[in-house]
Amino acid sequence: MKKKKIASKVLGAMSVLTLIFLWAPVLLIIVFSFSTNKYGVAWDEFTFKWYLKLFHNDAVRDALIRSLIIAGVTVVVSTLIGTITAYGLYKLNFKGKQFLRTSILLPIVFPSIVTGSALLVFFTRFIHIPLGYPSIIIAHIVFCSPLAVFIILGRMQRFDWSWEEAAMDLGATRVRTFIRVTGPQLMPGIMASAMLIFPWSFDDFVITYFVAGVGSTTLPIYVFSQLRFGSTPVINTIGTLFVALTMTGMLLMFLLQKKTKTSG
Amino acid sequence: MHALNKPSMTQAAKRAKRKLVLEITAYLSPIILIIVVFVFAPLAIILFFSFLKSGEYGQIVYSFTFENIRAVLSGGYGKVFLQSLYLALQTNVLCILFGYPIAYYITRYGGKWKTLWIFMIIVPSWSSYLIRLYALKTIIGTNGIINGLLMNLHIISEPIQILYTPFAVALGLVFAWLPFMILPIYAALEGLDRSVLEAATDLGATPVRRFFRVILPLTRGGLLSGSILVFIPTVGEWLVPHIFGGSKIMMAGSLVAQKFTAVGNIPLGSSLAIMLATTLILILYLTIKWGGREALEKAI
Repeated sequence: MKKKKIASKVLGAMSVLTLIFLWAPVLLIIVFSFSTNKYGVAWDEFTFKWYLKLFHNDAVRDALIRSLIIAGVTVVVSTLIGTITAYGLYKLNFKGKQFLRTSILLPIVFPSIVTGSALLVFFTRFIHIPLGYPSIIIAHIVFCSPLAVFIILGRMQRFDWSWEEAAMDLGATRVRTFIRVTGPQLMPGIMASAMLIFPWSFDDFVITYFVAGVGSTTLPIYVFSQLRFGSTPVINTIGTLFVALTMTGMLLMFLLQKKTKTSG
Repeated sequence: MHALNKPSMTQAAKRAKRKLVLEITAYLSPIILIIVVFVFAPLAIILFFSFLKSGEYGQIVYSFTFENIRAVLSGGYGKVFLQSLYLALQTNVLCILFGYPIAYYITRYGGKWKTLWIFMIIVPSWSSYLIRLYALKTIIGTNGIINGLLMNLHIISEPIQILYTPFAVALGLVFAWLPFMILPIYAALEGLDRSVLEAATDLGATPVRRFFRVILPLTRGGLLSGSILVFIPTVGEWLVPHIFGGSKIMMAGSLVAQKFTAVGNIPLGSSLAIMLATTLILILYLTIKWGGREALEKAI
């Protein structure tokens, strides 16, 4: 009995250390974003001035707006595609389904650098899609909709399908059933996938960097361009906002999940 | 009777088949279009480009050559590829060594804090990768808090160089990818049937023996899917070697980035990207064949 307790204590200590390892750098830049230290690497005194500076920085504001537009369009399109694809994959059985599923996995597990460079060559040398919003949004849909497919597919596997059967027994067509019965019931899962895709698109750097072309600076590209100047308080504030955004998204998703559990 | 039924049967089968084709088109054509046009076609094009030449000013010369492929497979580039594979393997092993204990702890002793623990691991995996790397760089930099602390404690008299060393790259890789190992292992451990564990104990297995003979084999799927999520992207890393290795430590991803941006040799870059993609597709195929598919899809 005593041995067991020691084992759990050791494991607990290791776990806490791992968590500190994952969080300490992030927590420190959050703390430093409120510090007057002009290199953003130490704690001097409390200040809000970097945040004020951030909001008056035109380059940051443009990049932020651009990132928000891209992520917004990506979320809507990817979630729509993800929903119907997941439904099709769940309901239909056909030859080549396994191959299709594996192909959909590819953009998720592939290194961004391969996807990014292949798309860049494709856009500039083959179909001539202008670099900027069109190329970035297409690239984001390419790596975000597969993610939506598997998130929503996961929800569907835990879903109670008897409602759908009832609706179809009562004579509703499959499309009508989906719009009136299944869709609304799957809504929390679909929303959860949207919550996850938003940061995925908003944060993406590597693929965006490749297909953005000149002048289409998104927020991560702006951060990257500032990195060579070392740490700056302004990047600390941007980082803090990024983390806050992700946490809000995750919290909303957890709440939605709870709602699905209690209502389903 | 038999003869009468047959035509109507085939007609029904035909109708069912036509309906299936219609439904596949309705539900799956958008994703098929995306995959074919924006994943397969670009890969095919860079495969084509990898057999072309680069001109003096970085333009593409349309003449067939094996030059790039030969360059990729030999000498310096080949060495960088091997180093990437080695670094990815090392990262994978380290992530398992650090990830398994925490996943195990959360499953067994998490109790009412379980959700919070998982939340604390999911948030880093979903928050900006670039920002997290930047944060780590801030800490280990010359003016960073680690050097500051060591100097204040008079352990060292001047800042030690952590950035731009192999250690920094290894640290950065584990820092970036660890959450993606913890989560699938956790999912696998959560899915374990308690009664199997009890049976092992009842039959007299010691905790250590029970872990290695029962728990570890049963969570193989989680380890496998975690390894896919960590190993494959790590081989193609570019940001981590770029930020933590400077120009000293290169990985396969750095080479691809270099050929597509600064130097601008698209055929050579394409060969490097194709080589990377081929290696990874092969690894992915073997892993899925080995039984990782279900676990992988679950992990996502």
